Amino acid sequence: MHAKFTDEELAFQQEVRHFMQTEYTPELAEKIRHPDTFREGMISWQKKLDAAGWAANGWPVEHGGCDWSATQKSIYVNEMAYAGAPDVVPMGIKMVAPVLYSFGSEEQKKRFLPPTKASDIWWCQGYSESGAGSDLAALQTRAVRDGDDYIVNGTKIWTTYAQHADWIFCLVRTSTDGKPQEGISFLLIDMESPGVSVSPIISIDDEHHLNEVSFSDVRVPLENRIGEENQGWTYAKALLTYERTALSGVGYCKRTLKSIRELAARENHGGRPLLEDPDFQARLADVEMEVTSLEYLELRVLNQVDKGGAPGMESSLLKLKGSDCQQAVQTLFWNLAAAYGGVLPDDGHRDVSGHDYGNRARREYMFGRATTIYGGSNEVQRNIIAKFGLGL
Amino acid sequence: MDFSLTEEQQLLKDSVEKFVASQYNPQQREALLHADAAFSADHWKTFAELGWLTIPFAEEQGGFGGGIVESAIVMEAFGSALVLEPFVDTVLLCGQLLARSDNAALCEQYLNPLMAGELHGGLAWQERSTRNHLNHCSTKAKTDGKDFFISGEKVLVSNADADLLVVTARLSGETDAVDGIALIAVPLDCEGVRTQRLRLMDGREALNVVFDNCRVPAQNLISDDGLELAQQVVDEALVALGAEAVGAMDYLYKATVEYSKTRKQFGQPIGKFQALQHRMVDMFMHTEQCRSMLIAALCAVSDNSPEKTQAIAALKTMVGKYGRQVAEEAVQLHGGMGVTHEMNIGHYLKRLMMIDACFGDALVHRRRYCELNYAA
Repeated sequence: MHAKFTDEELAFQQEVRHFMQTEYTPELAEKIRHPDTFREGMISWQKKLDAAGWAANGWPVEHGGCDWSATQKSIYVNEMAYAGAPDVVPMGIKMVAPVLYSFGSEEQKKRFLPPTKASDIWWCQGYSESGAGSDLAALQTRAVRDGDDYIVNGTKIWTTYAQHADWIFCLVRTSTDGKPQEGISFLLIDMESPGVSVSPIISIDDEHHLNEVSFSDVRVPLENRIGEENQGWTYAKALLTYERTALSGVGYCKRTLKSIRELAARENHGGRPLLEDPDFQARLADVEMEVTSLEYLELRVLNQVDKGGAPGMESSLLKLKGSDCQQAVQTLFWNLAAAYGGVLPDDGHRDVSGHDYGNRARREYMFGRATTIYGGSNEVQRNIIAKFGLGL
Repeated sequence: MDFSLTEEQQLLKDSVEKFVASQYNPQQREALLHADAAFSADHWKTFAELGWLTIPFAEEQGGFGGGIVESAIVMEAFGSALVLEPFVDTVLLCGQLLARSDNAALCEQYLNPLMAGELHGGLAWQERSTRNHLNHCSTKAKTDGKDFFISGEKVLVSNADADLLVVTARLSGETDAVDGIALIAVPLDCEGVRTQRLRLMDGREALNVVFDNCRVPAQNLISDDGLELAQQVVDEALVALGAEAVGAMDYLYKATVEYSKTRKQFGQPIGKFQALQHRMVDMFMHTEQCRSMLIAALCAVSDNSPEKTQAIAALKTMVGKYGRQVAEEAVQLHGGMGVTHEMNIGHYLKRLMMIDACFGDALVHRRRYCELNYAA
């Protein structure tokens, strides 16, 4: 029982730290921060990570992943967090790729995995519909066979970054026989296809991340279906497992807590730094402890996988506790910004309050309200854990 | 990084769990509560025979050569069944202070019988005017070179059956000074010691002790400036208490889930109701959070990490806060049965509350964490 690093792991830590410090430049950070240059900035950052061999670190080695131990994964996430650098946008590398290499044909793997890894394809996820949120199997988007194609009709909603996406992976209904889960197929759809339209949904952070994606007689070749027809639910469930473990957000929490501490040391509170105020300290300590326990919960799961075991039922807690932690961090950040958090930026997304993080604190808090909703709401997570974890 | 147990540790875990399963079901524990003694001398003998009392001591001292992880393994299993025998007081507090004294004669005299199960111990530090601070010590020790003479009062000394107490006593300085606190091994059959037994709500017994110019040989000195040593040993005992709390919480959420599958109302098991399911998921979550923090603290102590004190403070805070919360939920979900003495659920609540109260509660340790982390 120890959490020490070996010499090789210390060397790896140095390597990652040096990379993050030199490659995640202030110019790049600014590009990613600004909505107009976000896509370009993220792609160039992800390409740098790919050049280092790290972008798809969770993939099997034969597809370009890294044979990392739990310790290395944790070093990587921590160093990224300390540098304030974002991880890859998850929909491609972390969400659809595991479905591709687990269930895709050889042809599909060859066609999609390399450009996904190289960030030459920007993916978005077409799961939810207005009538199918937590009850995902109620989805109604239809795909009807017509020769070598499907004709797809329907509307997906809450599609993050659809405005940037080249491809969308979709759950569509190919049969209405049997249980709702039994008539679903998993399709990859080119966003350039005729009949695909994207309309923005502005969220409470006043930003455009979310979209509605409509399909009107969109032709999708049969070869773009993953696995068997009507078996899509099985593949999607596997993906949800990946999605949930990708959602614990430990790195994000640690990075933001580090910012909060630095900023609180700078804020004046009755002539002393706010960081010295016992009430503020107590709130910060509560959140830090929650995040530390989340970090070790995740490490326990990774450690079990390292040892060749399957993650136990505690892994189901990662999304639940991870999203709680993210919101707790965001609430503390908003409290720190105080009334400056309420000042809206100008049309160029620039802070005009003369305060340098109020805008960020508000945006992260507001958009963060979605963390306990997406990927299966926390209420649904509790239902799942009660049923499969506790046997209720 | 590796959180798995060694083969030897796994064997120890199996062995302690086997003892608990065969000797500590609720009826057996209830019988112990009604017996005259605070705990079972037979069980203690078993612990000695199985070598558990030697676990944290170095091989050169006749010990098993284990560390914090082995102690935590024992205490987690003990926590799952509310074992009453005073492992923490005798072995982890008194025993560890003796073992770390560099006083070979003292170890010969007391540590050997302690490991053999023939001597019980405890740590006497708390006074009426403090609840949380080890350095707050008004009990005085004077020496003539040959003997110490101790005067003062210690309260709520855990383990009423101690034969030997390690006593914090001031050789010099003001009451709250960090320097000048001696650690002295005081046999309770010394002249000038008066004790009063106190029964505690978790089935244990404690002592109030008055030292009235109590005379102890100078060779019983563990340290003449021992606050740091005492704090270190107490901190490691806090990790063991954290493990005990995790064992108790683990029992509670599982027992509650099982109960909810059998208890029927409105024509179905109450575990089918979503409102209750979600609460049980939270009990499970809080248990796993505490277990994760326990692993963080075990690693920090094993690695002698510079952040180990923060990790221990965080563990004590978290088991204090969530331990009671899980136990309160367990009582609530057991309904009327939860508030009966007959059902063991309430006994877990009592023990978890006592663990929280011991050596400073969740608020005290959160403050300690803050002082360590955010000092100007």
